[in-house]
Amino acid sequence: MRLRLPLFLVTGFGVALLLQYFIPLPAGQAFYSRALEWMQVIFAAGLLLGGANFARLHLKRAATRKDERPYSLLALAALATMLVAGAVSIGRDSTFLWLFDNLQAPMQQTVFSLLAFFVATAAYRGFRLRSVESGLLLSVALIVMIGRIPVGELISPVLPQAASWLVDVPAVAAKRGILIGVGLGSVAVSLRVILGVERAWLGGSQ
Amino acid sequence: MKLPALDRRALYVLLFLAVALPLLFPIGLVGSVSKSTRQFHRLIESLQPGDVILISFDCEAASWAEIGPVARAVILHAMKRDLRIVGTSFLSEGTALGYRLLSELATEHGKSYGEDWAYLGFRPQYVAAMLGLGESIIREYPKDYLEQPAESLPIFAGVQSYRQIKLVISIADDSMPQYWVEYAGGRHGVPIAAGLSAVMLTTFTPYLDSHQLVGLVSGLKGAAEYEQLLGVTGAGTRGMDAQSSAHLAIIVLVVVGNAIYFRGRRKS
Amino acid sequence: MSEPAIWISALCTLAIYSFLYRDNPVYRAAEQILVGLSVGYLVVITVRSTLIPRVWTPATDGNPWAFVAAALVLLMWTRLHPKAGWLSRLPLALVVGAGAGLSIPALLKARVTSQMAAVLTPTPDFNTFVGALGVITTLAYFHFTRPRTGVFDGVARVGTWYLMIFFGATFGFTIMSRISLLLGRSEFLLGTWLGILP
Repeated sequence: MRLRLPLFLVTGFGVALLLQYFIPLPAGQAFYSRALEWMQVIFAAGLLLGGANFARLHLKRAATRKDERPYSLLALAALATMLVAGAVSIGRDSTFLWLFDNLQAPMQQTVFSLLAFFVATAAYRGFRLRSVESGLLLSVALIVMIGRIPVGELISPVLPQAASWLVDVPAVAAKRGILIGVGLGSVAVSLRVILGVERAWLGGSQ
Repeated sequence: MKLPALDRRALYVLLFLAVALPLLFPIGLVGSVSKSTRQFHRLIESLQPGDVILISFDCEAASWAEIGPVARAVILHAMKRDLRIVGTSFLSEGTALGYRLLSELATEHGKSYGEDWAYLGFRPQYVAAMLGLGESIIREYPKDYLEQPAESLPIFAGVQSYRQIKLVISIADDSMPQYWVEYAGGRHGVPIAAGLSAVMLTTFTPYLDSHQLVGLVSGLKGAAEYEQLLGVTGAGTRGMDAQSSAHLAIIVLVVVGNAIYFRGRRKS
Repeated sequence: MSEPAIWISALCTLAIYSFLYRDNPVYRAAEQILVGLSVGYLVVITVRSTLIPRVWTPATDGNPWAFVAAALVLLMWTRLHPKAGWLSRLPLALVVGAGAGLSIPALLKARVTSQMAAVLTPTPDFNTFVGALGVITTLAYFHFTRPRTGVFDGVARVGTWYLMIFFGATFGFTIMSRISLLLGRSEFLLGTWLGILP
C-alpha cells in the first residue's frame, strides 16, 4: 500500500498526461487543467514544508547548542519579522518590500559578488596551462573576455569577431550535442519514472 | 616553483581597485552593438502599440546587478512603444524585483495599473504555470500580486491565453527560458525571447540559432548595447569601463600566474 | 531609497564583505539574518500567491475541488510526522508522474528534434560543416559504453576539443557575470552611499 499506491498514481498521472498531449479529448482537457492546478498547490505546500523545517531546525539548535544559539535566534527573528510584515501587506510601500529591498536583496547581491574576488584568487593561483585541452579552454576564455568588452575592439576588430564566431559556431555545436544527449537521457528517465522502475523520488526505504 | 607569496587579500584589493577606479574616473568606453541585441531591439520595434507582452522575472536578487539593467532597458523600450505589459515570476525573489521595477518605470512613463500593465505575481511550479497560461490566464492567476481579482483588470479584456500574447520575455539568471521554450513555445507556439545573465549565453545561443528563441540579450554588455540603441545612459553603459578594466586585471593575473609557473617548471 | 535605508543596506553589505578579511561573528550574524529573511519572504509570497487564492478562498466559497486541493496540502504536510510521513508520497506521486508525462513530448521536441533539425541548413557553408562536426563528435564523446580505440578515439578527441571551446566560452562569460555583480555593489557603495561617483 505504502509503495503500490504511489507507484500506481505516478504511472496513472504520467500516462494520462502523456496521452493527453497526443489525444486532446474534452474530458482529458478538464483532467489536464485540474492536474496543473494540483501541481501548483502541492509544490506550494512543499515550499511551506521547507519553511517549517527551517524553523524546527533552528529552534532545536537554539535550545541545544550554546555556541549556535545567538545565530539561530537571529535567523528565527528575521523569519518572524518577515512573516509579520508579509501578513500585513506586500504592496508598493509595505514594510515587507522595504525589508526585501534594503536588507535581503543587498545582502544576497553582496554574497554573490564575493565570487568575483574568488575568481581573482583562482586566476592567479589556479588557472594553469597543463595540457592541450586546458590550453584550449583558457585561450577561448581569454578571447571571449577580451572580445566582449569595448577595449577588445580598440585592440583589434578581429577579437570581437573571433569571440562571436567561437560562441556562435563551435560552442553552439558542443552545447547542441549536450542538449540532444541530455534530452534523450531525460526522456529515458521520465519513462523509467512513469513505469515505476525509477523510485528514488519515494525517498527512504522503497 | 611556488608563486610569490601574495596574500589573497592583496588580490581582492587589486580587483576592487580595477572596478572602483574606472567608476570614479570614467573614460566612457563604448563598444559596438551585437547582432543578437539588434535582433531583440527589432523584435520589440516590430510590435504594435497596444500589443500585450508577458515579462517573466525568473531571476534571484543575487544576479540583479547584472540582469536588472537588461530588464530595465527592455521594459523602457516596451513602454516607449506603448506595449501593454503583464508581469509574472517563477522564482520568488524575482517577484519583488519585477514588481518594483515595473511600478517604478510605469510611474515614470505615466502608465496606469490594470490598463497598461499588470503584475500577476509568483507561481511556484513553473511547468504547471507555463502550461496553465496556455489554457486560461485568469484561471491560472485568479488574483494579481495585489490580490485584486485579475478578471477585473481591463488589460485582460480580450486576453485569455497565449493566443493573445505577442511575445513572452523571460528575464533569467538560470535555465528558466529553456522551460519556456519547451512548454510554452513547444506546446502553444508563443514566441519566446530572453534577457539573460552573461553566464547563460552559451546555454541559450543554440536556441536562438534554431529559432526556438526569437531574441536574446545577455549580461551587462547586452544592457549597454540596448541602452545605446535606445539612446539612453544606464547602469550597463556606466559599467563598461569598470568591466573592461576588471577583465584586463583578471587576464593579467592569469598570464602572470602561468608565466611564473612555466618559468619554475623550466628551472626544475 | 531614504537615507536610513541606504545606511542599513551599506552596513549589511560591509558586514558580508568582512568575510573577505576572515570569517567573523559580524559576517555570520548577517548571513543568518539573510537566511531568515529569505525563508520568511518565500513563505509569505507562496501563501499569498498560491495557497490563499487557490485553496483558502475557493474553499471558503464552497468550491468542492478546493477541498481536494486542501487535502493534498495536508497530505504533503504529513511528512513532518514520523509515522504518517509515507502519506506525503501520494501528492508527490502526482507531481512526479504528471511532470514526467508532460516532459516527454516537450523534451523530445525542444531538445532533440528541433536541435537536430538546426544542425543542417538549406544553404550549408563552412560554419554548417563545423557545427555538424561538433554535434557528431560531442555525441561520440559522451558514448562511454564503447571502447575508445581507433577512429572512434579520434572522433571522441575532436569532441573533447569542441567541449573545451564551449567550457572556455562559458568560463569567460562566468567571469564576466561575477565581475558585473561586484560592479553593482561597488556602484552602490561608492555612488549611492558615499556619493563620490561623478
